[in-house]
Amino acid sequence: MTLDWSVVWDNRWRLIAGAEMTILLTAITMMLALPGGLILALLRLSPLRAVRSATTWFVEFFRATPLILQIYWMFYVLPAAFDIRLSEFATALLGLTLNVSSFNSETFRAGIQSIRPGQWNAGLALGMSKPQVMRKIILPQATVRVLPALASTWVSLFKDTSLVSIIAVADLSYVALKIRSETYRVLEVLTAMAALYCLMGYPQAKLVDWLHRRLKVTE
Amino acid sequence: MDIDVSPLILNWQFILTGLGFTISLSLLSIILGAAIGIFGGVARTYGGPLLDTIVGVYVDLVRSIPVLAILVWTYFAFPLVIGESLTPFTGGVLALGVHLGAYITETIRAGLTSVRPGQMRAALALGMSRTQAIRTIILPQAVIRMLPPLGSLIVIAVKDSAIASVIAVPELLRQSQVLAGKTFRPFEIYTSAMLIYFLICYPTARMIDRIYRNLAPLGAS
Amino acid sequence: MSIRTETPTRPRIGSDAAPILSFDNVCKRYGSLDALAGVTFQVNRGEVVCLIGPSGSGKSTLLRCANALESIDSGRVLMDGRDVHDRRTDARNLRRRMGMVFQNFELFPHLTVLRNVAVGPTTVLRMPAAGAAARAMELLRKVGLGDKAAQYPAALSGGQQQRVAIARALAMQPDVMLFDEPTSALDPETIGEVLSVMKRLADEGMTMVVVTHEMDFAKRVGNWIVVFDHGKVVEQGPPRQVFEEPTIQRTRDFLSHLGWHGESLAASDLLVPAPSGSYEHRTSD
Repeated sequence: MTLDWSVVWDNRWRLIAGAEMTILLTAITMMLALPGGLILALLRLSPLRAVRSATTWFVEFFRATPLILQIYWMFYVLPAAFDIRLSEFATALLGLTLNVSSFNSETFRAGIQSIRPGQWNAGLALGMSKPQVMRKIILPQATVRVLPALASTWVSLFKDTSLVSIIAVADLSYVALKIRSETYRVLEVLTAMAALYCLMGYPQAKLVDWLHRRLKVTE
Repeated sequence: MDIDVSPLILNWQFILTGLGFTISLSLLSIILGAAIGIFGGVARTYGGPLLDTIVGVYVDLVRSIPVLAILVWTYFAFPLVIGESLTPFTGGVLALGVHLGAYITETIRAGLTSVRPGQMRAALALGMSRTQAIRTIILPQAVIRMLPPLGSLIVIAVKDSAIASVIAVPELLRQSQVLAGKTFRPFEIYTSAMLIYFLICYPTARMIDRIYRNLAPLGAS
Repeated sequence: MSIRTETPTRPRIGSDAAPILSFDNVCKRYGSLDALAGVTFQVNRGEVVCLIGPSGSGKSTLLRCANALESIDSGRVLMDGRDVHDRRTDARNLRRRMGMVFQNFELFPHLTVLRNVAVGPTTVLRMPAAGAAARAMELLRKVGLGDKAAQYPAALSGGQQQRVAIARALAMQPDVMLFDEPTSALDPETIGEVLSVMKRLADEGMTMVVVTHEMDFAKRVGNWIVVFDHGKVVEQGPPRQVFEEPTIQRTRDFLSHLGWHGESLAASDLLVPAPSGSYEHRTSD
């Protein structure tokens, strides 16, 4: 077996562009999924039973089905059944955002619930309204607690963006698989693809470990 | 919008085959992952610095690479390394098992280190060897304590098995794609597939929660 | 500080003249801390030796060195004439013959009470499950917990857990029992039931090494008292001597700190007399 690594070097700009798309997707998705998750978490605390249970099922459904299938569903079903036509990029973003928002909502819910009820009472006793207590007392405390979990979700998301390659969004996976089929240098290109992910993912994973150690539940 | 379920009814066997592959692919990758994870977790905790480092590199590597990349590498590139081709199913089990194994390794390790040292002392004081103590005393407690994260990993394993569709394992998602392409009824087919996954994953998660609630005191030394 | 180096003559309890466990100038360091700074004493067959002294004075560390749960830096520990810390010694073989009871019980939470007692015989001695279970049941009855056999440890009170732990150690039919502050983690109301089980054990002639803060127990049940301070044995002797006429100021300080003023024990009756024939403790409830 002869290896020819020049194929990786020759295609470096395409690979870098793919990696940029991967990072861009991760960043935009997270930017949308943070408020998305927060909204879902608050809806689950709604006084209206119907709202609570609808949100719960929405979240559980997205958490208990494969992301890759969710992306396929958006890609094929939205235009065919509902006549909603989105670009590949928008479809990818929609799928990732709904999925990650669901996971984030669980993180936020756990964070909000981890604050002792005494904090609510203390805030209300000062004459604050419930939304004020939520905004000024509960959320700032919950933020610190949820940070490690959000960081873990970030790393999962970074890797999960690879799944959008199946609907031809030109992320790192898509580009690498394309170069593979053009050049037939399977081993070189796929190893380079894994290595590039590793190069970007490893520091993130270590950062998450550090965050987990650093922010280990402080009362 | 009109809904036509006839493609599903006409092709129920085709979908059932997919479901069978999804289940067997998930189960085998869980078994492989559990074997790797138990060995890896014990090795990292009790195996000395060298083993800890080696297994640590494996864990870090896998944790920073998407499962899709691991799947395509295992199925397309790995055969070139070993000079032997793999069936999609074998490649899928291998890739998903190795991927899952890294996460189980870390979970088992966290469980083992959380059992307080007195338990090991008590087991050794009875005359047990370290191996006996780990197997009969420490590991069972670690697994009980870690049931919630291990349960999430089982659900993740089922969901990740869908990614094996990209290497053409004829599992539920792959079969759905084929069917959707043939019948032009993506809504009915993909939605049904989604429901089937949900009906596997959601009850599994709830069941593990329930088992944990019943067992939790047994892991609290 | 004057340290009496010669060992006072001690009453012979067992028929065997040779010590079953002896510590010879045992030293152990944790970093810059001298956990044990040359500890020497002996345990004869049939004796109850109580180790007393302030917290952190090295008593528990010494106990763990006795069955090689901790290594030592210098000196020797001999069990029945065999060097416990010698590389060629199979520590596991020696540990089987030394039952150990821990401050925090350390019952195995995932096993039933019966399996806790039987797990040693089945895994270490390769005893058939049925035989081990029968032995375990017999021991549980002896400590008065036959009715708890099917429970899990979490359902038991501290005192009950500690009695199970004693049964677990006894199931290996040890030659020596090592007790590491067996009542320190207990609620006051359950201390008595554990001490009475221990007293019955002593009455049966079991050789025991007991690290304890229960001075009444040490005085009434102990044959030999060893006083620790800062990793050293500062005094040892029969209970009457150590408690009534301690020769060392440190011992006096320690005892008075515990509220002990050398009065006769006749009046104080912390130990509940156990009924004959079993270790069963009559609980008030």
